[in-house]
Amino acid sequence: MLKKRLIFILLYQQENFYLSRNFQLQKVGNLQWLKKNYNFSLIAKSIDELIILDVSRSKTDIKKFTQVLKKVIKNCFIPVSVGGKINHLDVAKKYIDAGADKLVINSDLFNLDLIQKMAATYGEQSLIGSLDYKKKNKDFVFFTNNGSKQVEVNPNKIFSIVKNFHIGEVMLNSIDKDGTGFGLDFDLLKKVPKKFNKPIIYSGGSGNHIHILEGFRKKNLDAIATANLLNFVGDGLLFTRNELLKSGVKLAKW
Amino acid sequence: MIKKREVVIIDYGMGNIYSLYNALKYLGAKIEVADNPSKISKSKILMLPGVGSFKKAMQQIKKKKIDEAIFIANEKRSYIFGICLGMQLFSLSSNEGGYTKGLGLISNKVEKFLPREIKNKKIPHVGFNEAKCEKSNKLFKGLKNNDFYFVHSYRMLKEKLSLDISTTNYGIEFLSSFHHENLFATQFHPEKSQENGLKLLENFLNLT
Repeated sequence: MLKKRLIFILLYQQENFYLSRNFQLQKVGNLQWLKKNYNFSLIAKSIDELIILDVSRSKTDIKKFTQVLKKVIKNCFIPVSVGGKINHLDVAKKYIDAGADKLVINSDLFNLDLIQKMAATYGEQSLIGSLDYKKKNKDFVFFTNNGSKQVEVNPNKIFSIVKNFHIGEVMLNSIDKDGTGFGLDFDLLKKVPKKFNKPIIYSGGSGNHIHILEGFRKKNLDAIATANLLNFVGDGLLFTRNELLKSGVKLAKW
Repeated sequence: MIKKREVVIIDYGMGNIYSLYNALKYLGAKIEVADNPSKISKSKILMLPGVGSFKKAMQQIKKKKIDEAIFIANEKRSYIFGICLGMQLFSLSSNEGGYTKGLGLISNKVEKFLPREIKNKKIPHVGFNEAKCEKSNKLFKGLKNNDFYFVHSYRMLKEKLSLDISTTNYGIEFLSSFHHENLFATQFHPEKSQENGLKLLENFLNLT
C-alpha cells in the first residue's frame, strides 16, 4: 500500500534560509545555522521528502544555490525536489546535476513549451507543478512568481487544465495560511475533481502534528509539506512523525 | 569487504547520479562515473540508474555506444544493477513514447499502468510503498522494513520471472525488483529509501 508523505521545505534566498509568512520573507539563518539546527542526515529519517526552493525576490546566483544545495543534501538518502527560477532547460539540468530528483515549477508552469521539453528529458514524474492561491470571498485566485502574478485562467477550470499538463504532481500552497501555523486550508481540496489523477501535495499553515493529522485524514491528499523552520526545530519532525504513526497514519517505516 | 568493490555508474546524461554516488560512497565502495564504452565494458560491477523517458534514454545510450559496452559486460557476466528507468531499460521493449526497443538483457516488456487495472489510482505511482518478497531473497536480507521510494508511471511486466523477485501493490501486484543471474534491478530507488535502501545496496555489493 502506498504511504502518505511528510515533506519538509527549505526556502532559500542568497545564501540564507527563510521563514515565510503570507509570502513575506524573514531571515532565519545561513547554512551554518541550518546545520546546527537541522542535521539533515538525521532529520531525513523523520521526513519522506525534502523540497528546497530558491525564492529569491531579486536576481539569484544559481551556482551558489547549487553549491549550498549539494552541502545540504549530502548523506541525505531521500528524494529531493528543487525549485526556483526554472525558466530554461539549462537551469533544470543544473538542479538535476546538483542532486535534484524532481523539479518544482511555479512561475513557468504555464510555459507549456518548456514543460514539454523538461518532461521529454526528465519524464513527467520528475515535475511538480506548484500553485499558490488566496481565497477571495468564496472563490480562489491562483498565483505564480512568488505570489506576485495572478494566473489568468478561470479558477474553476484550473484543475481540468493542469490535469493535462506534462507534470507528475501538483503542489497547492495557501498564501493566506502560509507561515501562520494556524492549520491547513482544506476548502480548495473540496474543489479538486474526484477524477483528478495526479498526486497532490498540500502546504501552508501546518503548525503542529494535529494539523498534519487532520490533513492526512482527508481523501485525495497524498502529501503534506511544511516550511516552518521554527515550529519543527530540534526533534519536532521526529515527534510529529511518531505522533502521526501512533494515530494510525500510514507512513513509511525504516 | 565493500571497500574493495569498484563500481562504475553509467552516466548517459539523464537523471540525477549524485544521490546514488553518495549512497555507494557512504557504503565504502570505490566509484567511478563513466560514459566511456571501454571503461563500462571492462567494469565488473555496473550501476544503470536513470529517470525520464525510455525513448530518450535509449537514444542517448546508442549515441554514446553504451549499449554495446553493456552487452560485452553482460556476456562476461559482470554484475549489472538497474534502478528505476535503468531496470526498465533491461527489457525487450517499452510502449513509452511509442514502441521503443530496450537493451533486451531479459525478455520482459515494459508497459504503462492502465488506469483500470490499478483501480483508477493516481499516476505516477509516487512515494514509499512496500516490496514483498520471499525470505530467501538475498537482496532484502536483514531488512526490518521493506518500504522503498517509487516514482514511475511504467513498470516491467513479470512474465516468466518468479525467483528472487519482489512485488508491490498499487491496485495490482507489480514487479518491483528482480535478481536473475548477473542482473539485479529495482523499480524503486534504494538510494532514496533511507536505511532500507542503503541496506539493500549493501546486500547487493556483498553479493558481488
